[in-house]
Amino acid sequence: MTTEALALIVFLPLLAAAGAVVLPTAWLGLSIRVGLMPLPLLLLIPTLEVLENGAYRIALAGHSAPLGIAWQLDPLSLLMLWLNVGMTLLISLHANCSFRPGQPHAHRFWPLWLLLFAGMNALLLSADLFNIYVTLELVTLTAIGLIALEGKPPALRAAMRYLLLALLASLLYLLGVGLIYGQTGVLDLYLLAERLAPGWLSVTAIALMIVGLLIKAAIFPLHAWLPAAHGNAPGPVSAILSAMVVKVSIYLIWRLWFWGVPEWDLDRAALLLGVLGGMAIVYGSLAALVQQRLKLIIAYSTVAQLGYLLLLFPLASTLAFQAASYHLLSHGMAKAAMFLAAANILRSLGTDRLRHLAGIDQRLPLDVFALALGGVSIMGLPPSGGFLAKWLFLEAAWSARAWSWLILIALGGLLAAAYLFRVLAVVCLHPRRRGNHRHLKRTPDTASLAAMLLAVGAIIAGFTSAPILDLVEAGLPPGLPR
Amino acid sequence: MIGLALDLLIIVSLIGLAIQSINAASLFRGILHFVVLGLAMSLAWARLDAPDLAMAEAAIGAGVTGALMMIAYRRLIEIQPDQESSLRPPPSRLAVPIALAAGALVGVIGLAAIQAEPMPALAGTAVLENLGSTGLGNPITGVLLLFRGFDTLLEITVLLAALLSAQAVTRQVDLDQSLTTQDPDTPLVGALLAIVVPLTVLVSVHLLKAGGQETGGAFQAGAVLAACGVLLVLTGRLGASRQYSPLVNTGLLVGLLSFILIGLAPLLWGQPLLALPGLWAIYWIESAMMISIALTLVLLFAGAGSLKRRDHG
Repeated sequence: MTTEALALIVFLPLLAAAGAVVLPTAWLGLSIRVGLMPLPLLLLIPTLEVLENGAYRIALAGHSAPLGIAWQLDPLSLLMLWLNVGMTLLISLHANCSFRPGQPHAHRFWPLWLLLFAGMNALLLSADLFNIYVTLELVTLTAIGLIALEGKPPALRAAMRYLLLALLASLLYLLGVGLIYGQTGVLDLYLLAERLAPGWLSVTAIALMIVGLLIKAAIFPLHAWLPAAHGNAPGPVSAILSAMVVKVSIYLIWRLWFWGVPEWDLDRAALLLGVLGGMAIVYGSLAALVQQRLKLIIAYSTVAQLGYLLLLFPLASTLAFQAASYHLLSHGMAKAAMFLAAANILRSLGTDRLRHLAGIDQRLPLDVFALALGGVSIMGLPPSGGFLAKWLFLEAAWSARAWSWLILIALGGLLAAAYLFRVLAVVCLHPRRRGNHRHLKRTPDTASLAAMLLAVGAIIAGFTSAPILDLVEAGLPPGLPR
Repeated sequence: MIGLALDLLIIVSLIGLAIQSINAASLFRGILHFVVLGLAMSLAWARLDAPDLAMAEAAIGAGVTGALMMIAYRRLIEIQPDQESSLRPPPSRLAVPIALAAGALVGVIGLAAIQAEPMPALAGTAVLENLGSTGLGNPITGVLLLFRGFDTLLEITVLLAALLSAQAVTRQVDLDQSLTTQDPDTPLVGALLAIVVPLTVLVSVHLLKAGGQETGGAFQAGAVLAACGVLLVLTGRLGASRQYSPLVNTGLLVGLLSFILIGLAPLLWGQPLLALPGLWAIYWIESAMMISIALTLVLLFAGAGSLKRRDHG
């Protein structure tokens, strides 16, 4: 049953994408539903399997590694799969308003959207370094098409820049995979641990792969493409890009680091990655403070928040792993909620320049509320998922006696509060707030509802942590200190 | 001795052509150098005993990519007819540092690779051991379809994603006329096509069939077939169309759909996922992929969502 369910989790969206290409408009809606709606139910089957028996491995085509490709579902990839499925479904609810079948860009949006979804599911399942490369290409190419979809010049420029940098990143990753295969004769991630000894060639290979993934994850100072791309893409696309697409690259670095080469002595490299993360937090927050457009503020906030995910490397403990995973989850929901709310505001106002937003809370209360709730989680105020993640980070830094990281984490929270309160202050407290916005376009209720659901999810994540943290702990790589 | 001289010649010309294609005096010359670079690269693959790669490099790296670049160049000068000279962007300040870094990287990898003692290629030996039981003679086809079929399935999905992304950014201008190079009614064009088109179809079908036992396969065959399609577009026999065409869409997806459905089917009778049920399945999927690959490449070339036939007297 589990194999069948996992097969459908990858292939159903693929088939639906093919359907969305070939079927006439009248059938498009059905095709989308078939590709998305059954997924949570299907995912329940492997979930039960993993909770009961631990990691689940499939040899595709019946050829086990090193000859064939394997899928491996362990608690961490299960969590990521749930996040991907949940986010994609909720954001699709929003996308169904702006790209309803029959509207101009709908026929181009949905095939790419479904391919992106399938690509990320395949990436999260794959245990094979080269197969992961192909899935990364699928994710990147569809993301680029989605960014450029509406054809506005800034979006096209951003997509082009993203394309060039992402191709460079892919080549670096692929070069690393080639070198590893030349060294070890295997491509399976879980066979590397015993076969890849540190040496000039293997260190170069792993470093190339990690640099490639850091570019795709837009980690400072390789972040240059992200704000323009996430800030100019259509709303649902910005949401999935910030919530999932950049994070799967970091997930892959975790995999390489803790599962691929767990025996290596990587303290200095870990410190370097941690410093990069810290710089990302500070730089991204400061840049967010001076932006004039709402979507750009949210995009720079992503640059900052991604930095936390790198603090896992220097802290490297069970607590840090729980913190990073929980941050990934709650930031995903909060950021998606904020981007969707921003998209609604942009749509009804025609602009998202900060100075035009004064008093908009009276006209679009639901969207502003979603924006604020998402902001609460990003700032790390209790009771929210973001609070819990930051708390776990602080605890991890405390128990490791890593005072500088402790200060950095606290500072990051303060900076986030600064750039988000700047937005909320303009929206709710600006003196020019009366008599404004007579000519708002109405946003569909579902669009606001989707943003609201995600924002509430980010808050609720503050209460339902126990099973998820247990799940993360069950999937930890061997040999990690508490 | 001759072999060594040949290798050195290929290496020197590869580096020279690479520098030239980045640094040429005009964009047009840069494209030409890039196409020649692709050909030299395919020679290098041939020298490294990788005929499949050599063929793919010549057909896709030099042929189809070159055609795509040329068509992009022509659109550029159509957009800015009087600024042909400004099409070459000024060299970036980062050019030299990046070149040095890339050179250093190659140096490190090269030096380290000479010293390293690679472990036996487990996957490679496993392929050769398992090939006998499959009925295939070409280990590459075995890897692409049987042992690592999921990679190939995702690769043709990537190709589809590339086409969809390209369509997403294509402006709604009619590109119909601009693609035809010749007056389609020139008398010799018809005669030329009458010879060339059947021949390329023959070659691609041969490549496809040969792929089971020796050099060849769906990607090479698709690229050759695509060249035929590009020729038909350039001579005005096929035109870009925005009209929805079920036939074109079916052709576009037949490779992916066949692979997915034949790959999922074994689950019904308890076989592993993607375990292809016999040689017929391999040939079926390869043929379907050839059609999809060729059509995708032609559509990318035409910058269109669909194609339509055009009649000429």
